[in-house]
Amino acid sequence: MNCLQFERGLPDYLEGSHTSEHQAHLNSCSSCSDLLADLNFISSQASSLQALDEPSPKVWNQLEASLRREGLIRQPLVSRPSLVDFFFRWRSAWLVPVAAALIVVVGIKLYHPPKAGDNAPIAKQTAPSKPAVRTPLPVSDEDRDILSRVASRPPAQQASYRADLDAANSFIRDAEESVKSDPNDVYMQQMLVDAYQQKQMLYDLAVDRSLGEQ
Amino acid sequence: MTDAKRPQGDKLTEAEAIERAKQGDAEAFQFLYNLHKRRVYSLCLRMTGNTAAAEDLTQEAFLQLFRKIATFRGESAFSTWLHRMSVNVVLMQLRKKGLQVVPIDETMEGEGEGTVRKEPGAPDERLAGSIDRLQLQRAVDELPPGYRTIFVLHDVEGYEHNEIADLVGCSIGNSKSQLHKARIKLRELLRTNRAEKAGTGKTGKR
Repeated sequence: MNCLQFERGLPDYLEGSHTSEHQAHLNSCSSCSDLLADLNFISSQASSLQALDEPSPKVWNQLEASLRREGLIRQPLVSRPSLVDFFFRWRSAWLVPVAAALIVVVGIKLYHPPKAGDNAPIAKQTAPSKPAVRTPLPVSDEDRDILSRVASRPPAQQASYRADLDAANSFIRDAEESVKSDPNDVYMQQMLVDAYQQKQMLYDLAVDRSLGEQ
Repeated sequence: MTDAKRPQGDKLTEAEAIERAKQGDAEAFQFLYNLHKRRVYSLCLRMTGNTAAAEDLTQEAFLQLFRKIATFRGESAFSTWLHRMSVNVVLMQLRKKGLQVVPIDETMEGEGEGTVRKEPGAPDERLAGSIDRLQLQRAVDELPPGYRTIFVLHDVEGYEHNEIADLVGCSIGNSKSQLHKARIKLRELLRTNRAEKAGTGKTGKR
């Protein structure tokens, strides 16, 4: 076997088809031996080129934009304001103080001071006295969603969610009635916004905890 | 089965991210992208030799994958699925541009002179120990497109010749011969570059 014959047989040789003629030629020819060594070296080093480089950040930015345009990335059901992010981290630890805050806010509403220049008795400014937390209200679809997300939690926690949900719904109802009776009452309008946010916090907590369980 | 890769510091596994991505979770998509972006981009870059084209193809490969993620059942590794899609995206692009993916029916048969020729007085020095990864990368980038495709698919990415034949539409024999020529060409390039660097001026072709 000469060098030309050896080289023509190299592709098969490198795939594992070794013959005694090949070996005899390699033993006697340093050039072919060097050639074989170099080709093996190149092949062995090639895998080091895998995953060597990193694309620029714009690739992800453009990809994400495309995914959103095509609806493959779906926005969460409610957007989360930064205030909720802060309370979210408290997890169950803040449920009790939030429930207490609901009661306090409702109490403040009941003792809402009269506006400047308004001589009407206080009784006309406030709604008839109502309990801070009423008997359980009819369950809306949104409430069912919240309760279903915590259905796997211990019964005591489920009851806690239900109580907080009832308190939040009562708060919303009372604030809505107050705003309806006096649409210009900026204070009560803010109370209504706070009431919705409180319920949103409950929903976000239930969603995040249910995701954490998956 | 899906890979249960858990990059350091991340809470998700790949399997969890896939399920969440099916639900439209943005963070899950980004997790999967970050997990595989280097491999996909490097493949695209090796095969095109162009960073802008490689980035466009990387984006396209992931977009096509994410469009179909709802159909992923886990019968094979997710990375295998993504990788195969990336290769197809690159090859399609090369064909669109009219670039020769693989020279047709070229084999070693009938070639006159061999590669191995002795240069009188030329010292023989093997590549091992004198070539680093960066030099090899540059040499690969200098390969003609057809050689580069086969070399990247086989030696860099680990595809077998029968798989390469399916991907690029050539025969197994053609794939083997093109790979051999690619390696021979790389050897020439590396020896030339090394000689130029050493300032000897010798081409190193044997």
